Amino acid sequence: MFQKTIAVIRREFVERVRTKAFVIGTVLGPIFFGAMAIVPSLILSRGSVGQRVVVVDGTRNDFGRRIEQVLQASTVGDGPKAKPVYAPVRVGAAGRVQDVIDSLVPRTGLSKKDAATLDGLLIVDEGSVTTGKLRYYGKNVGSLEDMRQLRSSLTPLMIAERLRSVGVDPVVAMSAAAPIDLDTRKVAEGRLTAESGASTFALAYAMGIILYMALVLYGTQVMTSVIEEKSNRIVEILVSSLTPFQMMLGKVVGVGLVSLVQLGIWAGAFLLLQQYQSTILGLFGVASASSGIASILPTMDPWLIVVFLGFFVLGFLFYSSVYAAIGSMCNTVQEAQQLQTPVMVMTISGWFSAFALLRDPTSTFAKVASLIPPLAPFVVPVRYSIARIPLPELLLYVASMVAGLLMIVWVTARIYRVGILMYGKRASFRDMLRWVRAA
Amino acid sequence: MVETVIAVDRVTKRFAGHTAVRDLSLSVPKGGIFGLLGPNGAGKSTTIRMIMNIIMPDEGKIALFGSAAGGRALSERIGFLPEERGLYKRMKVLDQLVFLAETKGLSRGTARSKAIHWLKRLELDDWSNRRVEDLSKGMQQKVQFIGTLLHDPELVILDEPFSGLDPVNSQVMREVVVEVARSGRTVLFSTHIMEHAEQMCDHIVIIAHGAKVVDGALADIKREFGGRHVAITFSRNSDAARPVLSDQSLVKGVADRGAMAEIELAPGADPDVLLRALVSCDVGLSKFEVAEASLQSIFIAKVGADGARPTAMTGEK
Repeated sequence: MFQKTIAVIRREFVERVRTKAFVIGTVLGPIFFGAMAIVPSLILSRGSVGQRVVVVDGTRNDFGRRIEQVLQASTVGDGPKAKPVYAPVRVGAAGRVQDVIDSLVPRTGLSKKDAATLDGLLIVDEGSVTTGKLRYYGKNVGSLEDMRQLRSSLTPLMIAERLRSVGVDPVVAMSAAAPIDLDTRKVAEGRLTAESGASTFALAYAMGIILYMALVLYGTQVMTSVIEEKSNRIVEILVSSLTPFQMMLGKVVGVGLVSLVQLGIWAGAFLLLQQYQSTILGLFGVASASSGIASILPTMDPWLIVVFLGFFVLGFLFYSSVYAAIGSMCNTVQEAQQLQTPVMVMTISGWFSAFALLRDPTSTFAKVASLIPPLAPFVVPVRYSIARIPLPELLLYVASMVAGLLMIVWVTARIYRVGILMYGKRASFRDMLRWVRAA
Repeated sequence: MVETVIAVDRVTKRFAGHTAVRDLSLSVPKGGIFGLLGPNGAGKSTTIRMIMNIIMPDEGKIALFGSAAGGRALSERIGFLPEERGLYKRMKVLDQLVFLAETKGLSRGTARSKAIHWLKRLELDDWSNRRVEDLSKGMQQKVQFIGTLLHDPELVILDEPFSGLDPVNSQVMREVVVEVARSGRTVLFSTHIMEHAEQMCDHIVIIAHGAKVVDGALADIKREFGGRHVAITFSRNSDAARPVLSDQSLVKGVADRGAMAEIELAPGADPDVLLRALVSCDVGLSKFEVAEASLQSIFIAKVGADGARPTAMTGEK
């Protein structure tokens, strides 16, 4: 009996792994991760050096000159690799600001080849110091990073200037106003980890996305595969030698293994990337420390991987048996769209619950959601990644998930058994209830 | 008494609005070829699906090999070719056959060597690594036919196995079916093509509108229906035949035309007995022909124009 189920699992696995879609998806995954690690660094570090900015100085004091000095002093990168961000030029324009602007705008944002092109105009008015209002006209106003850089370069100067105007020594004031450097380190089970707060969040977020995508993607594959067997009528041959439960189990487990292999390859690629992140970034000419993005690929604790995979497997079995039952009720993929809605509602609620609890992973809401089987596969790993769940509590969640899984398998197997041999009209929910009740 | 392989006992199956099979009983003896005949929509496929436990009868019982466990539990011993043909389109032919055999409990190795053997036998070996979707419909049908026989089942159930095949392929498959039956196994097949049944079947059941019309050994049915007449041509010693021909238990009437005679057999008389009697009297015969009605004419007479006409609610599905 078991040998037959294995035959179904093997067929489902081998046929799927052989497809182009699988190969492409598996290769694209690591490329996607790689891009996630590398592209932001590239964006953060590139394009922002040597910006040709003209300071249109409408003041009659030396404020404009000091702005020029500050811009000159701004660099990215550290030590010998540091590069100046700006190549500023000051144009005195007291009393004729608008004229200067009008004359410079036509020279701004031209093609790079044009040696005379400007990247932007920073306009300083008489009132800038008091209002804190500066104008920047440039081609790169869409770049959040450039604007952040500009703002953070100028803010200290503005504060100092204001303090000076009320008679406070800016040196004293600036040192007093130095921001707190909050170094966050997560403590798990009484031990200090290397994870920072930001990486914990990134990890929880990434896990949420992967869980959602994998459950929906592979669940849908189970569904279409059931519909395919129905529509090409091979189901009649299969059902004469296999029990519907064997067919369903084989299919769910086969597709599940495919998903685990794919996730495994991705996880492997992820770990390698993490290991060699700085080397890879170096190849692209980016010093990892300079960009401060080491946290984008966070470290993963092995227990978290266990919880993640465990709940992924349970969630997959849960959702794919629902998808299998839906497939069995339909004759075409189009018909299935409508019936899928309840499952979509469940997965999306799971996804939202997971993010709702990011802020407070030990709230009552988080605990209740962890006990609801359709939500638990999303909620528990995300919670675990933020704050370790005590073992007894974790076991309780596993138990409730397993209980829910058994229940849903019992129901879906009954629907599946009747559904696969029904042709013609799509089954309604009323039919479905009848099939479940019929022994 | 011959062992009964399939016993269908007063089975009824109703679908919404009509009765597909009505109080049908049949028993398929071990060995030989059993034909399930009937016009389109008579309930042949429904009957076969009930035998295979794909659908459940509303009333009545079905036993296979004397067990009520159902077709699936006994699937290692049964090969089934459904009317609705289907294969995994994107799978390679050989992989597909290995998989089908595995679901019947064969090991991979055995399945593989048997599949290769059969593919060669049905001249599909060049196609074994092609995807099913690349094959013509007839070839796909042969692949599925192989899938039915791979595990050497004791009972082979074929639903309209030869429909849609060209004469050459149809012939090849019929030869295989006959060979399977010769090796002592049992074949049940449904068809509405009377010539196939006439050539191959040992035993037939004709159903119309879900009910049984004719049931029996093909020879018996023919004898009962059309085997009342025997045409004889004497080559010598025709006088010696006179006492035999006047035997009331054998012969009802004789049309004596000298060198030839046309005999109407007595009810229940066996032409074999008549032939033996003639030979034992040293009568020389150049021709002894039981003038039988063809299955075609029996079918038409029994089912009638009415039986073949599908009523509005009658359908096999």
